[in-house]
Amino acid sequence: MNISRREWMLTAACWREVLRAQSTQSNQFVWFNPATAAEIESIAAQIIPDDNTPGAKSAGVIWFIDRSLAGFDQDKQELYTRGLEETQAKRAGLFPGSTSIATLSGVQQVALLKAIEKTEFFQQVRLHTILGFFGQPIGSKFLGVEHQMHFEPPFGYYDAEVSR
Amino acid sequence: MSMAQFRPADTVDFIVVGIGAAGGVMAKELATSGFKVVALEQGPWRHEKDFKHDEVAVMFRAGLTNDPRKQPNTFRKTAAEPAIKQQAVEYGRMVGGGSVHFTTNYWRFHPEDFHERSLVGAIPGADLRDWPITYDDLEPYYTKAEWDLGISGLGGSNPFDGPRSKPYPLPPMPVKSSGVLLERGAKKLGLHPFPAPLAILSQQYKGRAACIHCGYCEAFGCEVGAKSSTLAAVVPAAVKTGRCEIRPNSYVRKIEVGKDGRVNGAIYFDGGGKEVFQRAKAVVVCANGAETPRLLLMSKSNAFPQGLGNSNGNVGKYLMFDNGAFAFGLFEHPTNEYKSVVVTRVLHDYYRSDLKRGFYGGGGIDGRFDYYPAGFAVGGLPADSPQWGSDWKRDLAQHYTHISGSLGHVSSLAVEQNSISLDDQVKDAWGMPAIRVTYKSHPDDVKASDFIAERQKEILLAAGAKKVWVDQTTLGETTYSRHLMGSCRMGDDPKISVVNKWNRVHDVPNLFLVDGSSLVTCARQQPTATIQALAYRLADQLRQHRGASL
Repeated sequence: MNISRREWMLTAACWREVLRAQSTQSNQFVWFNPATAAEIESIAAQIIPDDNTPGAKSAGVIWFIDRSLAGFDQDKQELYTRGLEETQAKRAGLFPGSTSIATLSGVQQVALLKAIEKTEFFQQVRLHTILGFFGQPIGSKFLGVEHQMHFEPPFGYYDAEVSR
Repeated sequence: MSMAQFRPADTVDFIVVGIGAAGGVMAKELATSGFKVVALEQGPWRHEKDFKHDEVAVMFRAGLTNDPRKQPNTFRKTAAEPAIKQQAVEYGRMVGGGSVHFTTNYWRFHPEDFHERSLVGAIPGADLRDWPITYDDLEPYYTKAEWDLGISGLGGSNPFDGPRSKPYPLPPMPVKSSGVLLERGAKKLGLHPFPAPLAILSQQYKGRAACIHCGYCEAFGCEVGAKSSTLAAVVPAAVKTGRCEIRPNSYVRKIEVGKDGRVNGAIYFDGGGKEVFQRAKAVVVCANGAETPRLLLMSKSNAFPQGLGNSNGNVGKYLMFDNGAFAFGLFEHPTNEYKSVVVTRVLHDYYRSDLKRGFYGGGGIDGRFDYYPAGFAVGGLPADSPQWGSDWKRDLAQHYTHISGSLGHVSSLAVEQNSISLDDQVKDAWGMPAIRVTYKSHPDDVKASDFIAERQKEILLAAGAKKVWVDQTTLGETTYSRHLMGSCRMGDDPKISVVNKWNRVHDVPNLFLVDGSSLVTCARQQPTATIQALAYRLADQLRQHRGASL
């Protein structure tokens, strides 16, 4: 196929537009607003903390949750809205004078989440956080999984032991 | 040869409804016998290239299974309760059906499973019944299935199995740590573990490639065609005859009956939601133990106002669910169970019912730890360990590659009230009545599962586990199942069964059902081999009789 320089330039320009649009969109929340995203992200970051290994925050789990709520899990939007309201009320009760979950200390965040950990809302945020982390290579590698299409026996210590 | 194409007005010899474990076999066997076949599948026609290692899509978003958002079902434990929307039945929704995404345990039922009622007597609160056929009637068709589809195993290695006319066509899969540990614990206890018969190719077979041990068998479709699904093993042969048209995305809503009381075709929604009426001389329904009774109940007509095959009100009744618990053991060294096939060793020592235990039932046990990473994080650790935060995260990483375990496969009794019926309050995305599941485990099923779970723990401890626990959510009454069995039982007496011993509907001479719904008992779960043996047997009969009444 022959492509003229003009066509190539046009195509490249188009791609630049597409890429710019995509990169802008990927930095913007679809369902959350920045404030609620920060609140949910602070919950996710306590569920899977960034400690000596990566956690929910560095894995960008909040983006997965946002896109899930905008797409496949649209029917969970109400649970998030209601659950976050109830959690804010709980926060205000536990820590009078505090203004957001994200600005609580880590110890306070843990105490707040312990108080709501049996709720449907917390369980849903936990599930989303797990899917956004352990459902992706960053999480499975953390568990010790090697990602290969092909393994050869022996697979583990005990089958190696009997094959010796 | 390119795939046959029939017009709806063409009266083909057979319509097959549902191209799963049984329907795929029926399509191929009927087409290779010279019949013209239209095979209708509600799900898509996926191929190896379409399958991916994507746990979120497959395990959490109904990627390969019925989507409860489009096809909700309702659930209640007894008819006295209101039925609420709660997923209770799950099945593979694609060409190949459950045979595409199953774990691939391929156990034959034992000879005594076919006359267990005569052996143990009546069980109060249940309707345990003998089959109208014996193991010997089915044996040639178990063998046919194993050789046609490609099953790996070691014939004669299970001392509790019935006699076999031929060995397995392929040697067993290489043992994994879960298999070694099951064997180690079991032998210390004087039990008899054996290599798992699996519907996975341990070697190249009939032009299909051998397994590459990628580890994504259970719930996933095989990307290299090594899993012996009907999709990989027999659908291509059906198409190749030039007499079988596979129609995916074709959702049957009614089987039509003529003035003569015989079925004459099926009405389905095509991929665009348009209704199509395909004519046929006979219909074979292989839509699974939930969708088959639903379709019969939806197929009301003047001649059959209660639904097809339902003159005596038996359609949908005696539904049997999967049963059995997960036990886990933490071991000192890596097991790396995420690699290769799920199961490599099984034992049947506790399979037989022994009423001296105080309850009916028993179970088989297979060695496995089949959690994918996200599923493990959701609920794989013991309930008393932390469930979020840094300590939980550390526990997950320390456990995941060091767990082995086992799954119990336990009896579940046929109970008349346990059933599939139509829910007129809830519709699916096509406007058809949803499946209403009524199911409450018989008390003996719960006791049998508890008993087997204790045996699972003993074996793991005997194998050297440092810590042993049972997934508590897998104990107690069952409310969810991927094994859908018994809802259109086989029997000689039309008053208490739906199909005769040749899988023909008692009421309708040219309507056949073959799938989990025909099973009279569910033995100890793992019904696929028996479902497929019944399909090969029915196809053989139809060939011999050239489709005439049996």
